[in-house]
Amino acid sequence: MKIRFLAQTLVAGLIALSASAQTVTVMGSTALGPIVKKAADDYMKLHPGVQIAVSGGGSMTGLNQVTSGGCNIGISDVFATPEQDKTGIKNFNIVVQPFTLIAHPGVGVKSLNAQQAEQVFTGKVTNWKEVGGKDQKIVRVIRPESSGTRAVQKKEILHGQEFSKDVLIQDSTGAVVTAVATTPGAVSFVELEHLEKNKARVAGIAYNGVECSNEGVKSGKYPIFSFGHAYTNPAKLTDPKVKQAVDGFLAFILTPAFQQDVVLKAGYLPVAYVKSLKTQL
Amino acid sequence: MNDSPESSLVAPALLLELPAADRLAPAPPEFRQSRFHRLADRWSHLVFLACSLLVVALIGGILFFLAARGLAAFLPLTGNTGRTLSFAEVFLSTDWAPSSDHFGILPFLGGSLAVTGLALLLAAPTGILTGVFIAKLAPSWMRSLMRQVMDLLVGIPSVVYGIFGLTIILPLVSHSFLKDAPASGFAISAMILSVMIVPTIVSLATDAFEGLPLSLDEGSQALGSSRWQAIWHVLIPAARPRLLTACVLGLGRAIGEAMAVQMVIGNNPQWIALMREFTDRAPFLRALFTPAATLTTELVQELPNTPTGSPWNNVLFAMGLLLYLLTMVLILATRRFGRNEVA
Repeated sequence: MKIRFLAQTLVAGLIALSASAQTVTVMGSTALGPIVKKAADDYMKLHPGVQIAVSGGGSMTGLNQVTSGGCNIGISDVFATPEQDKTGIKNFNIVVQPFTLIAHPGVGVKSLNAQQAEQVFTGKVTNWKEVGGKDQKIVRVIRPESSGTRAVQKKEILHGQEFSKDVLIQDSTGAVVTAVATTPGAVSFVELEHLEKNKARVAGIAYNGVECSNEGVKSGKYPIFSFGHAYTNPAKLTDPKVKQAVDGFLAFILTPAFQQDVVLKAGYLPVAYVKSLKTQL
Repeated sequence: MNDSPESSLVAPALLLELPAADRLAPAPPEFRQSRFHRLADRWSHLVFLACSLLVVALIGGILFFLAARGLAAFLPLTGNTGRTLSFAEVFLSTDWAPSSDHFGILPFLGGSLAVTGLALLLAAPTGILTGVFIAKLAPSWMRSLMRQVMDLLVGIPSVVYGIFGLTIILPLVSHSFLKDAPASGFAISAMILSVMIVPTIVSLATDAFEGLPLSLDEGSQALGSSRWQAIWHVLIPAARPRLLTACVLGLGRAIGEAMAVQMVIGNNPQWIALMREFTDRAPFLRALFTPAATLTTELVQELPNTPTGSPWNNVLFAMGLLLYLLTMVLILATRRFGRNEVA
């Protein structure tokens, strides 16, 4: 039985391998990974001849690999660096990701205005009582310098200023949420979906009196979000069949049906929601 | 001498005795004459040679890659797409802010040395005394039990230690000793690291004490020393070279550990500047509970997320190279101690 099963699998694999001339490789952001994987599964059902392999590695890995031709599509939370842009890679904004401030539940603050939020992270304000909360030291939990989330935070919350030197740094959003949940006085900045998953452990903080929500971003009231990007490298896409598959796949992700049905459910927003195009974060 | 895997690490000198074992069991002549076995001998010889060459090539290749990318930070090599840095601004500066073009790695080097030093300070006495206990004092059933427990401890993935520290130890210490200030820093990291390296030190220390000639123990007791005097004045000094080896191997494991430390240390590259600014705690507490960073924690966080060929990426590889050289020095040191060992 087992041998027969193995043989069948092997034969099926070989047939699949010879039949599927086009394999599209996707690498990069682990945050965007699940949604792109879902898109790949749906697309492969519609187009049986196409194989799409999605792997992680991080945004910068995706950008490095697509620049060097190591993969066909590089997915990233951040825009490419100017040096990478010079190689002629092409950007597609595939989803919109809202970000929110979060804090340890006991800090006694529900909302920060733009100036307060900036001062909390630059270190001008060091105690929650200075922004209307408890007498409790502020503990800033942020992501490492190379993180896309940190880049968004620096631009949108700190308006380009440097972070305070007194910070705790955690490697992943999951670790950030855990640190905020277990450290009294902690404050941080994460994707909205991570707040929604951890409502019981951490508290969301409104920005300028507006709570982060999909509706808020859509109506333009809530200003803090970033794009999820897919980059391709036209110079390295020499095989016309692979090129066709790549173009078809990206077009599929951007179809209204996929954006409405899947992107929304997965905690992102359709690109069409954001009319004012922010080109560079 | 027992046959635990560590024992081969302890004493390269022991390997020299192998030819003697060869002489004990000479192969029967008719076996050697067989054509099939001669061929098999020759082929297996080739396979062994190929395997060892492959291993050497792999390690050499990785080292070459590390060195090429690391040195690209300072030299205009092909792997460098940004500006070349001077040695002084990398190795003599405490200012790490890659986005603003500052690449001082002293905070990481200092952090690595501090946290591993502290960890060893905690783990070495504990490990060595446990070794004495297992080898010389424990009843035999406890001895085998303790050995197995130590072997099991070595196998726990480091991320488990990290999560334990992050979710249990940190909040506990912060809440009970620090008035809710965050407890991240050298103290907790060193504590967790020491728990991770104690089993290594215990295994090697136990081997060291069991390897001592019984005459030392019996002789000193015959001369009227107490149990404690025999251990303190005779056994520990006699085992010293191998205990040093045990400590250095523990140190090697600690300095290379990334995951567990990364989760609890706070990863703040500006810790030196921050310690100067802080005045709200006593200097001692400040040194132990300031969020800090080490070579490994910075590497694990930033290396995959920086653009290839940028000075930032190259400096990270240079840090990797530095870490490799540090580990190399430690390995050479164990060799040295092993050679000085009294037979």
